[in-house]
Amino acid sequence: MRRLSSSSFAAGFRLLAWFASFAVTASLWAQQQSPEPPSTLSLSREVKEVFERCSKAVVKIQATDQHGDLSGTGFFIDPMGTLYTAYSVGGEAENINVEYKGKKYPAHQLMADLRSGVALLKADLASPALPIGNSDQLEIATPVVAIGYPLDLAETPSFGMIAGFDRKCFGGYFPTKHLRVNLPPQRGEGGAPLLNLKGEVVGILLYSFENNSCYALPIEAAEKLRSDYVRFGEPRYGWIGTNVQEASAPIDGSRAVTSEVMKGTPAADAGLKPGDVVLQIGRTKVREPEDILEASFFLTAGDAIPITVARGNEKITFQIQADLYPASNTRLAAPPNLNHAIPLNLQSAPEGTP
Amino acid sequence: MDEFNDNEITKLLRLKKYEQPPPGYFDNFLHEFHRRQRNELLRQPLWRICIDRTRDFVFQFNLSTLTSSPVAVTAVLVCAAILSLKVYQAPQPATVALKERPVLAAPASAEDEWTLASPVATRVFSSRSLRNMTESAQTHRKGTPPRYVLDSVPVSYETTFKF
Repeated sequence: MRRLSSSSFAAGFRLLAWFASFAVTASLWAQQQSPEPPSTLSLSREVKEVFERCSKAVVKIQATDQHGDLSGTGFFIDPMGTLYTAYSVGGEAENINVEYKGKKYPAHQLMADLRSGVALLKADLASPALPIGNSDQLEIATPVVAIGYPLDLAETPSFGMIAGFDRKCFGGYFPTKHLRVNLPPQRGEGGAPLLNLKGEVVGILLYSFENNSCYALPIEAAEKLRSDYVRFGEPRYGWIGTNVQEASAPIDGSRAVTSEVMKGTPAADAGLKPGDVVLQIGRTKVREPEDILEASFFLTAGDAIPITVARGNEKITFQIQADLYPASNTRLAAPPNLNHAIPLNLQSAPEGTP
Repeated sequence: MDEFNDNEITKLLRLKKYEQPPPGYFDNFLHEFHRRQRNELLRQPLWRICIDRTRDFVFQFNLSTLTSSPVAVTAVLVCAAILSLKVYQAPQPATVALKERPVLAAPASAEDEWTLASPVATRVFSSRSLRNMTESAQTHRKGTPPRYVLDSVPVSYETTFKF
């Protein structure tokens, strides 16, 4: 009896030891499998990775304008040395030089757009390029990294987060919504890329705002201009020839009422009338007059765009071919042989326009 | 004395005979006497008071005994050495620094460019510059750092809602 009890005690002990070792192994395995909790260290590591991967495509730009020498930041977007920067850096400057891997390369201006505040330059060198991201996927508090050349210092990362999407600031309206970013910008970082934590460009740093914030142009807006440049050799903002003002009360959810339709414009030719409430431009739903700016920015001259308005009790959709924006502040600085403009017949009435 | 004859004096003394000091006068007499004596002493000029005090202080010691003491002699010598060192290490007056040759001015060739109008010797700088405007503009441009660009306001705004 005593022998039996001692053997059962040993078996029980072995079983208990086995269970304990199994529990320890399982807990260790689970700890390895579970995602690492977000910490300052992991965030720092991600920022460092983005910086190390992307800083090679970020360059210092030195140039001369009417006020003297200037220094800013730019970044390559293709392997042929095409780079984005701010209009204040490359928009009105001459003798542009790009500092890449410790050497200076001359660069020339392909396009400069005062409306958006960006310039497109080209240096004759084989370059790395930053991937283009999607700024529409950004949300409030999305972490972002900017890489720039502050003062006469080396490339420097700045970490922050998206603080807002603003259309209006300093008492005026932006041509399109801008990203307000909570990161401390420094002089010399105008034109720096704003990157998400995947290392994709989501914006271009343009203006400082107070001390620890800045505004960046969403990369979609800059890409619209680059698309125009590729198609026409210059930015081509579209315009149909109407003025819009705010209605006292919303009609069908929109307060944007047409106050004026200019004679001889695509809008007049299409049949738009004062008093029409604009409901939709292309894929953009219009609720406030500010929405018009957003939609207008992405209009391209020569492209037909569906515009839905409310007139009385009915909704009418016009298919209107946009004309060239009259107050276009664009400036084409490329040599004539680089201009690949496609001739457009903007006078012909588009098909399907009521 | 012509104003007072003997009768008047006699009359005054008669009156004085009945004159009495205020109560407590003699109790406070000694204290008041010392106070007035100190006031009389302090009416002398300050420098005279200082000299008197110093003389009294020095002559209360027996100087002949002190001079024979080696400790006293050593103390005097050490004090003299310290004082002389302090005087030797004192900074030069400002006039020396002002006489240094300024970088951007012409060399001091003329004697009349020094003026003794003020107690501190100063120099009248020559109005002739070492470089002309063109040269200085070029060197200034090369030397100044570039403008580090980051705008604080947008380069353009939308004025109206037009499209």
